[in-house]
Amino acid sequence: MASTSVTASTSLPDHPRPSRLRRFSQLRTYTQTLSSTGSQRSRNSISSRVPWRSSVSGSNSPVENSTTPCPETEPSLSRYTSAPAPTYGIGELNSHASSTESATSTPLNEVAETPDEMARLRSASAVQHPPSRTLERTTTNSQEPTPSPEPSVASNHTAEATPAESNTPPRAETKATIRFFPYTDASQSSRPSLPFVPVTRTLPSESCVIRVGRYSERDGVPIPNPTEPTDTPVGFKSKVVSRKHCEFLYVNGQWHIKDVGSSSGTFLNHMRLSQPNMVSRLYSIKDGDIVQLGIDFRGGEEMIFRCVRIRIECNRSWQQKPNEFNKNTESLIKNLGKGETADYSGCRECSICLGSVLRPYQCLFMAACAHVWHYKCISRLLHSPDYPMFQCPNCRAFTDLSADVDDTNEIDDTPANDETGDQASNSTGEPEADAPSTSATNSTAEPRDHLQELPEEAMLANNVENLHLEELDQEMEHAFRTVSPALDPASTSLARSATISIPGWQPSLPLSVPAGRQPHLRSDTPTSDDNPLTPRNDSGPLAFDGRAGMP
Amino acid sequence: MGSVKRITKELAELTQSPPEGITVELAEEGDVYNWKIHMEGPEGSPYHKGNFLVKLSLPTEYPFKPPTVSFVTKIYHPNVTNDDKGSMCLGMLRADEWKPSSKIAAVLQFARQLLSEPMPDDAVEGRIAEQYKNDRPRYEEVAREWTRKHA
Repeated sequence: MASTSVTASTSLPDHPRPSRLRRFSQLRTYTQTLSSTGSQRSRNSISSRVPWRSSVSGSNSPVENSTTPCPETEPSLSRYTSAPAPTYGIGELNSHASSTESATSTPLNEVAETPDEMARLRSASAVQHPPSRTLERTTTNSQEPTPSPEPSVASNHTAEATPAESNTPPRAETKATIRFFPYTDASQSSRPSLPFVPVTRTLPSESCVIRVGRYSERDGVPIPNPTEPTDTPVGFKSKVVSRKHCEFLYVNGQWHIKDVGSSSGTFLNHMRLSQPNMVSRLYSIKDGDIVQLGIDFRGGEEMIFRCVRIRIECNRSWQQKPNEFNKNTESLIKNLGKGETADYSGCRECSICLGSVLRPYQCLFMAACAHVWHYKCISRLLHSPDYPMFQCPNCRAFTDLSADVDDTNEIDDTPANDETGDQASNSTGEPEADAPSTSATNSTAEPRDHLQELPEEAMLANNVENLHLEELDQEMEHAFRTVSPALDPASTSLARSATISIPGWQPSLPLSVPAGRQPHLRSDTPTSDDNPLTPRNDSGPLAFDGRAGMP
Repeated sequence: MGSVKRITKELAELTQSPPEGITVELAEEGDVYNWKIHMEGPEGSPYHKGNFLVKLSLPTEYPFKPPTVSFVTKIYHPNVTNDDKGSMCLGMLRADEWKPSSKIAAVLQFARQLLSEPMPDDAVEGRIAEQYKNDRPRYEEVAREWTRKHA
């Protein structure tokens, strides 16, 4: 699959040569159009079978990297920047057609789709071009021309797609998010349970239900960790998991689990929820609960007969917001290199070596929970057999180090960080920390605190507090939104328009990443996918042979 | 060896400002992994006035693996095995409960705390735990006697 995208993208840039006479900017958008549509299409055709992560691996081809710095946001762009082609004349159209033919790996459906694509484009192209010019000038990042036309393009598109827009709920600031991590019972000498890639689900609306059951070819492989809120069912490739096994619901601000008549049972903290093939009542779940699906089938040793043990993580959204603890850490790090007056007495110590952590010129690792250690001390826990999973030794928060960088946080952080200056940039580009680990830190999205150690009542109280916190944050967010159009119309319109889902669009493509921010991150920090040092898991979430969790 | 550095540090801390009723030294000079600890029986417990020798051994993987605590001095206690090993069952020392951020000082203080407040539900000596729960005076009597005899 990587080879298809490579051939598409490498062969194509040669073809637009005839249009060299045209203005350069036009050529640029044109080449992008061709290369990106080519590669993107070939991905789309396979995307129903291959999980998203492995499709990213295709972006390792240097050519594609140079032309499409941000493949996720590309499709919406590419369709619309190709708009000049039909209006400008036949010469380009011909070259377009010939190039599609020459790119043999490009699937047929591109040609088939072209007419209606053009029809849509023609309507938009007239209005679209002038604003994109002005925007291109205002955009600061000259290295990546791709995102610059997008705001106008996307906002243009909203006019067309109004019905779709009204259907999709606006992106709320706080969504019910739940994560499933593989759980290995360290104390028991039992067989390991089915390995799987950590799954994150954010509900698009409260009424949605996350269905969990056996993986089925017919449903296609769900994306393990989409960037958009979704209630895509979660599938596990195990025989002991029923097709319809259990459901996760979010009722009145509390996550619940329900067995929907599984044959081999759903266990919440070792307690079976219902008799075989019986629907259970709702059981509330809390962070750290262990859910087991089915029982190991004793007849076979293969992975497919293993039960699934899930460690639940939920109600943690407050930790991704600025709080006293991580702000404190942030400011300590910020003052790290600033020498003479820096006060290190208040610094936390590295819990591994008991030495003081925050000194300049040391390699540090900061987990998402804002706990910090020397990189050397913590590396043992980072590069463990369960690599993508990292458990904070201080607060036991589990973190998926291979998770994608969560840019959405940045928007939430912005209002809070405005007071304290450029903290966001500081945290992403922390100079002292080891490069791979920084990116890993950024990508991990569920910080946790010492609150974990509190008894249950205290946790409840905390949850209530957190609710308030979230409300506060929402208010701040609103305030920010209302102010921002005047300040930065490009980025807000961009962020908003990017969340619109378009009917008939490839739903599997995470195209709704705030495009203006993503390229910055991508170019600055190497993601864990691009880093040659970090072990990778390209085999997807349903690897049979146990490789899924292994480096 | 990162562990040696940390252990030395903790040892220095413990010898400089030892917790109440606890004195710490190395079992053998030059081997930081085995500690000899003298623990006084806490006041108000049947172990009062007893002086217990406790052995603490640290794995080379410390602090990633928990230390083990065992009573060299015989002790009548539901959470200490009544054999020549005298190993102590501490919740925080179990592999899945252990956190690298826990320090030895905390372990020792917890162990001493356990002398005054045994945890019969988490016992290794079921018989003593039973007695502790149902026949407290008898338990205290035996514990006091053992303390006098051995400690």
